[in-house]
Amino acid sequence: MEALKSALDFSDFPRIDLLAAGSLAILFLIFPLFPHSSFAMATLIQFLMFSLYGMGWNTIGGYGGQVDLGKAQYVGIGAYTTAVMLIRWDIPFWFSMPVGVCFSVLWSFVLGYPLFRLKGHYFAIATIATSLVLKDLFEVWDFVGAARGLEISPIRFPPPDFLRLIFREDVYYYYVILGFFFVGIFYMNWFRKSRLGFQLRAIKDNEVMARSLGINVHWAKIKTYAIATAFVSMVGSFHTCYIRNIEPEDTMSLDISILIALMAMLGGAGSLWGPIIGAGILIPLKSYLKEWLGARAGIVGIDLILYAMIIMAISALEPRGIWGIVQRFRRRRR
Amino acid sequence: MGIDVEILLSALVSGLLLGLVLALVALGLTIIFGVMDIVNFAHGEFLMVGMYAGLLTAQGLGIDPLLTLPVAGVVGFLLGVVCYFGFIKFLLRGPMVAQLLGTFGLMLFLRYLALLIFGSEDRALHHGLLVGKSFDIGMGVIVSATKLAAAGLSVAAFVAVWLLMNRTRIGMALTATALNRSAARYMGISTERMNALAWGIGGASVTIAGALIVNFWSVNPFIGLLFTMIAFAIVALGGFGSVPGAFFASLVVGLIMEIPGFWDFFMFTFNADWMGKVPMTSFKYMWVYVAYFVIMVVRPRGLFGWKH
Repeated sequence: MEALKSALDFSDFPRIDLLAAGSLAILFLIFPLFPHSSFAMATLIQFLMFSLYGMGWNTIGGYGGQVDLGKAQYVGIGAYTTAVMLIRWDIPFWFSMPVGVCFSVLWSFVLGYPLFRLKGHYFAIATIATSLVLKDLFEVWDFVGAARGLEISPIRFPPPDFLRLIFREDVYYYYVILGFFFVGIFYMNWFRKSRLGFQLRAIKDNEVMARSLGINVHWAKIKTYAIATAFVSMVGSFHTCYIRNIEPEDTMSLDISILIALMAMLGGAGSLWGPIIGAGILIPLKSYLKEWLGARAGIVGIDLILYAMIIMAISALEPRGIWGIVQRFRRRRR
Repeated sequence: MGIDVEILLSALVSGLLLGLVLALVALGLTIIFGVMDIVNFAHGEFLMVGMYAGLLTAQGLGIDPLLTLPVAGVVGFLLGVVCYFGFIKFLLRGPMVAQLLGTFGLMLFLRYLALLIFGSEDRALHHGLLVGKSFDIGMGVIVSATKLAAAGLSVAAFVAVWLLMNRTRIGMALTATALNRSAARYMGISTERMNALAWGIGGASVTIAGALIVNFWSVNPFIGLLFTMIAFAIVALGGFGSVPGAFFASLVVGLIMEIPGFWDFFMFTFNADWMGKVPMTSFKYMWVYVAYFVIMVVRPRGLFGWKH
C-alpha cells in the first residue's frame, strides 16, 4: 500500500511538468479516435515499446551508471519464449510472458554475478560479448528456428484473440502497450524513491563511499540488472505477438542494444522522463527518415547516416541529454 | 603421417598466420586506448576503409594489391587525425557512456557512408601477383601466398610501429602521455598533439591491416563489427594499452578462430561421429566472444596489462 502511494505520488516535480505529462497521457489515450495513418500508429507503438526498453535500461544504466550494452539478449529471450511456447504448445501470451521474464531474470543472475566484477569500459564490452554469444547460439539452434526465425501464422491462430494477443488492427496492440507504458512509469516513479534507487545513485556517485556506508554494491547492481531485464523481456514478448515474425538478427543484434541505451541517454539518463523523451524524439525521427529518404527517395543508407550524425552530435555536445538542457535552463532562470 | 596430423598442422599454421595479421588490427586499438582511455567502436570500420582503399587503388591503378599499403596507410592516418579533431576531441569532456555511444555513432556513420558509396555487394580481389597462388610448406600443409605475405608484412608493420613508439623521440612522448598524462604535460608534451598522433598511428596501422586482409577476404560495408569485436577480444586478452600483449594475444585469438579445424582433428583422431554433427563452423566467431568474456572475468587486466 505504501509502495502504491509512493508510485502514484509525483508531487516532487514542478507543476508545469505534471501538466505537460498529464495532457500528453490524455492525448495518448484518445489518439486512436483521431484520423491517422497506419504508419503513424506503427511508429507510436514502436515509441511506446522503446520507451519501455529505455525505462528498463535507465534503472541500471541511468540511476546505477553501469553502461550495459547487452540488453538485446533479453529482448531475444522474452520474444523467443513467447514464440516457442505459443507455436509448440499453444500457451497464450499472458502466461508465457511471465515465464519469459523468469527465464530472462535467471539468465541475468547467471551473467550478472561475474559481469559486475567488471567496471567501466570492461563491463560495457563484456555485456556486448554475452549478447553476441547468445545471438550466435540462437542462429544455429534448430529448436527455435535457427537463422530463419519463427513465424506465428494467422491461419493457426485466427485473430482477434486477446489471450494470445493476436489482433488484425494495430489499435488493440496500441492499448495493450499503452497499459504497460503507464504501469512502467508508475513503477519507475516508485523505483527512483525506493531504497534500491537511492543505493544506486550512491553507487554511481562514489562506489567506495557507498560500500563504506554498508551498501552491498555487488548485490544491488545484480538486483537492478534483473529489474532492467524484466522490463526488456516483457516488451520482447510483446514484440513477438506484435511483429509475429522473429529472427535473431532483429531481436538480438547489437544495434538493438545500442538503441535501447541511446533512448535513455538522449533524453537524459537517470531521470524519470529521460527515456520517454529520448524515444519520443529518436523513434519518429528514425522511422520517418527511413520512410522519406530510404523508401521514397530510394537512397539506401542516407537515413542511417543522418541518424549516426545525430548520435555523434548528442554525445559530443550534450552528453547529459535533453533533460540535462532543460535542467540547466531552469537553474539559470532561478 | 595421417590425414589427422595434416589437419592439425594446417589449422595451426593458418591460425597463427591469421593471428599475425590480427596483431596489426589490434595494435591501433590498443594504442588509442593506452593514450587516451577511449574504446573505439569504429575500429572495424577503419579496417573496412583500409580494405576499400587497398582494393580500389589496386583496381584503379592496376597495380598489385600489396603495393597499395602506403596509400592505405596515408588514408588511415588522415582519417584518424580528422576523426580526432573533428569529433573525438569533443567527446573527451563527456562521461564514459557518451564516449562509447559517440564512437558507436562514428561506426554507423562510416558504415552507412560506405554503403551509400560502394553498395552492399561483396567485393574481392581477383588478380594480383600472389592471388590464387599457394605454397606447399611440407608435411601436407598448403598455405596461400597472400596469407603468408600478409602475415609477413603485418609483422614488419607491427615492428615498425613498435620501434616508432620506443626508439624515436615522438614515440617516447606518446608513451609518456599514455603512462601519465599530466606529468607528460608538465614536461612540455602537448597532450592534444599526442592524442591526434595516437589516432593517426592507430588509424594507419589498422588500414594497412585492412589492405593486407583484402588480399584474402572479400569486403562489404558490414564487415567492420566482426573485426571490432575480434580486436576488443585481443586487446582485452593482451591487456588494454599493452603493445607486446596485443601481439601474443592475437596469436591466441587466431588459434581460437581455427577451433573448427582443431575440432575436425579430434573428430578424425577419436573417430567420434557425434562431433561431426555439431555445426562448428557457425560457432567460429562465438568462441572469440566467449574467450573475451572469460578473460575479462578471470583476469580483467589481461596478460600484460598495466592499466586497470
